[in-house]
Amino acid sequence: MGYNTITPEFVEQLKAIAPGRVYTGADINEDYAHDEMPIYGKFNPEVVVEVISKEEISAVMKLCNENVIPVTARGAGTGLAGGCPPIAGGVTLVTTRMNKILEYDLANFTVRVQPGVLLNQLSEDAAKQGLLYPPDPGEKFATLGGNVSTNAGGMRAVKYGTTRRYVRAMEVCLANGEIIKLGANVAKTSSGYSLLNLVVGSEGTLAIITELTLELIPQPKETVSLIIPFEDIDACIGAVPKIFMAGLKPQALEFMESEIVYMAEKYLERDVFPHVVDGVEAKAYLLTTFDGDSMDALDPIIEKASEVVFEEGAIDVLVADTPDLRAKAWSARNAFYEAICASTSELDECDVVVPIHKIPELLKYVNGLEEEVGIKIRSFGHAGDGNVHVYVLREDLPRDEFLEKAEIALGKMYVKANELGGLVSGEHGIGHSKFQYLRESLGEQSIDLMYGIKKVFDPNLILNPGKVCYKL
Amino acid sequence: MNILVCIKQVPDDSVEVSLNQATGKADIEKIAPIVNAFDGYALEMATRFKEAHGGEITVLSVGPEKARDSLRNCCAVGASKAYLVNSEAETDTYGIADTLAKAVAAIEAEAGAKFDVVFCGKETTDFTSSQVGPMLAEILGLPQVTNIVGLEPAEAGLAVKQETEEGYNMVDVATPCVVTVTKPEYDPRYPTMKSKMAARKVVIPDLAVEVNTDAKVSVTKVYEPAKKEAGVKIKEETVEETVAKAIGLMAEAKVF
Repeated sequence: MGYNTITPEFVEQLKAIAPGRVYTGADINEDYAHDEMPIYGKFNPEVVVEVISKEEISAVMKLCNENVIPVTARGAGTGLAGGCPPIAGGVTLVTTRMNKILEYDLANFTVRVQPGVLLNQLSEDAAKQGLLYPPDPGEKFATLGGNVSTNAGGMRAVKYGTTRRYVRAMEVCLANGEIIKLGANVAKTSSGYSLLNLVVGSEGTLAIITELTLELIPQPKETVSLIIPFEDIDACIGAVPKIFMAGLKPQALEFMESEIVYMAEKYLERDVFPHVVDGVEAKAYLLTTFDGDSMDALDPIIEKASEVVFEEGAIDVLVADTPDLRAKAWSARNAFYEAICASTSELDECDVVVPIHKIPELLKYVNGLEEEVGIKIRSFGHAGDGNVHVYVLREDLPRDEFLEKAEIALGKMYVKANELGGLVSGEHGIGHSKFQYLRESLGEQSIDLMYGIKKVFDPNLILNPGKVCYKL
Repeated sequence: MNILVCIKQVPDDSVEVSLNQATGKADIEKIAPIVNAFDGYALEMATRFKEAHGGEITVLSVGPEKARDSLRNCCAVGASKAYLVNSEAETDTYGIADTLAKAVAAIEAEAGAKFDVVFCGKETTDFTSSQVGPMLAEILGLPQVTNIVGLEPAEAGLAVKQETEEGYNMVDVATPCVVTVTKPEYDPRYPTMKSKMAARKVVIPDLAVEVNTDAKVSVTKVYEPAKKEAGVKIKEETVEETVAKAIGLMAEAKVF
């Protein structure tokens, strides 16, 4: 696809649309060239436009479509798959100034927000109204527009599902600048193809989100977290399906091996989990949270959960039932990503998702790759929904050797995840970094269908080119 | 040793507090009550001491019926007995200290044994007066060491490590005594499922002690303490690197 060159006249036209908020050349913040995975390369936008209204988005899109100039929407840039770096150059459209929570509809338990509202901002504001926005990705400073564009998951997905479930309606700007509404503030629909759900998870390749109507739920009154140490990872993961089979519905259910816990504790300069329990060294932990209306209602639930895990070989069950203990219990888990980043000069990652009962097999394979390929690997993940985060660390390896080995290790991992009936990404998305793996996993026909859909929405292929379903 | 830990139930200080427009006071009704953080450290320190050297821990609180939950939580992390002076009466720090002293006497009379050490948090997170522990020691006529971060048995009774602004004092103190605890290097432990279930069975009697509501403390002025410049904390990977950096900084500042 040939794109046109950006001319000074074109920039002037953008400046007329968004006065004082158009940047070029050296005035562009270098952060706009990458997301949080710099290993996937840096790509400078030619122009950055910070928009403040849907009318501006519409005008920018119309202009870019007419001139066949690529447009990449960008939120807080916290992605991990190379979704927002503008690999074809062109215009980067930054939505972070569109950060207003517009209106709560308490009768329908929904809220209307602009796309640049941060996850943290909404969760704190909703909590003040006694409401919960259930999606809980680790990165709290991501924008909701970005969360919707990657169908972000997070800790609470195991009980409440991912972002998709909470998107009731949205307003989007199409590639030609037209603004349309998708979905409606209704609880169910059987009204044709769900264009709404096509846009959720489309990473800015089909349309630009200008407004979201998101579903909320009443804030659970009480939560209790349990830290459950095990002697080995197999017993730890083996307990996960048993928890569900006992009819228990944890809000969150994470597994972690002791090495990564120690790494996080070193990073936090604080011991978070006991390392030796009743004289036995813990090699793996489950960290789970249950929510309910009262402590009295939660007591039988956590007792049942304890019974189940003791039968599966848990060394003990530690109870974090006060706000400070809960915060402490989750502090290590919440610091994993930062701790891993701090421990190495460079890293690559994947977030494959497999059927829950296949996690032990995948982990065993992943741990074996460390020796087979000769590269340090750390993993953790959402035990409750089969989503495993695997990181390959450069450490002391020369860069070329690291890149080569990382590709081999990750390639093998994707093949294994596929064999186990899994998919390429549980919540981070495809961006431009995982397209090859997606193609191998889904096959040509599915990719062709995706590309066909892309062309219907965006005939000139100007929206976030070279992402998700085709290569530039 | 026979150990007593005095605790206070306070509103959770980790959440945002708003003003109740109707009452003109902090809106703490909806905030979860928790054990005062420094009392939690005191209990953890007492529990570690008990695990290392033997003994028994009793917890005591003056407060409303709801404080019984906090006492029960303490029984899941080290205490084996708990008593409540069940009262919602408004009082001051002296009133609380005096009531605690009477409660101590009542428990000791009932058990027929004296406490060897009485632990208090150095202050509460709601009023931060730091007065109750020292007043309690005075009323009981016991020696006291404030702001401790550790203790060991010693010939004289106890060898305690007291935190000061410059470092530490190592103090030997005779028992029985009162100590107030500041944040040590560790956190309070998590209760376990088994310890919580055992704690549920602990009977927590109400002590028939009247709360002293005869206010003796009058506040003449509230003001901010003088601000001091923060020091520099030097912590490198190894001791050698830390020392080298410290010497480097001193050389730079022309200390020598």
